Amino acid sequence: MTEAVAGIAFTGLLVFMIGVYLLFAYRNLLRLVLGVEVLAKGVTLILLAAGLHRGMVPLIQSLIVTFIIVETILAAILLSIIVICQRTNGTLDVRVLSKLRG
Amino acid sequence: MALLIGCLVLLVVAVVLLGLFQDLLYSAVGLAVASIMLSIVLFQFGANIAAVFELSVCAGLITVLFVSTVSLTKDSDQSGESRLPARFLLPMLVVFTGVALTGVTWLASHVGAASGAARGSFQEIFWGQRSTDVLGQIAIILAGVLGMLAVLRVKLQGGHHD
Repeated sequence: MTEAVAGIAFTGLLVFMIGVYLLFAYRNLLRLVLGVEVLAKGVTLILLAAGLHRGMVPLIQSLIVTFIIVETILAAILLSIIVICQRTNGTLDVRVLSKLRG
Repeated sequence: MALLIGCLVLLVVAVVLLGLFQDLLYSAVGLAVASIMLSIVLFQFGANIAAVFELSVCAGLITVLFVSTVSLTKDSDQSGESRLPARFLLPMLVVFTGVALTGVTWLASHVGAASGAARGSFQEIFWGQRSTDVLGQIAIILAGVLGMLAVLRVKLQGGHHD
């Protein structure tokens, strides 16, 4: 593993863990979407490191493009649900949103 | 190498600042900066098309969607949010750095050497070997459009549109 690949893998793992922390620590729905996006950046970096290590940049590039499309659709759906949720309940705090609790 | 290190450091700084900012608009700008740094890293290693996708879609479209959502939900209560997670972010960063260093060290010692370069260009692989992925992408985009239409229809039926 070269130094560049190790650096990218290290940054990917670090960014991934920061994204998980944002998901666990914050209660605002918009901040949770930010956490998902940060997590996705970490996954993209780890994918790039794997592709560079194996010498398969074209293959990993096609996987990254697919991942970006999935990430964008996920963000669009989440944000539209958040708008409706805020208009229905008047808040974005996940602790208050207890209508779906079993 | 210096450009790569600078981009990676700026990416981590942007992500950390994104968690520290109280204003969601600044956090959206932080996310856009992180996407720009990631696209520069992708471009440096020859993943040009992925870099363009990252720059236009993640740094552009998602930021616009996010800022639109923030403006649509501007009456939401932002000031009452706890500052505790932001205060714990920097100490947790030290722990995360240690875990990431351990992980990379373990990977470097356990992952085998490169097995040779892949054959074919991006176009050949994307449209040839990974053509099922293209079908999946079309299905996901259609699902996204239908999902947003379903949300909007519920909104109109509920009579909450304004």
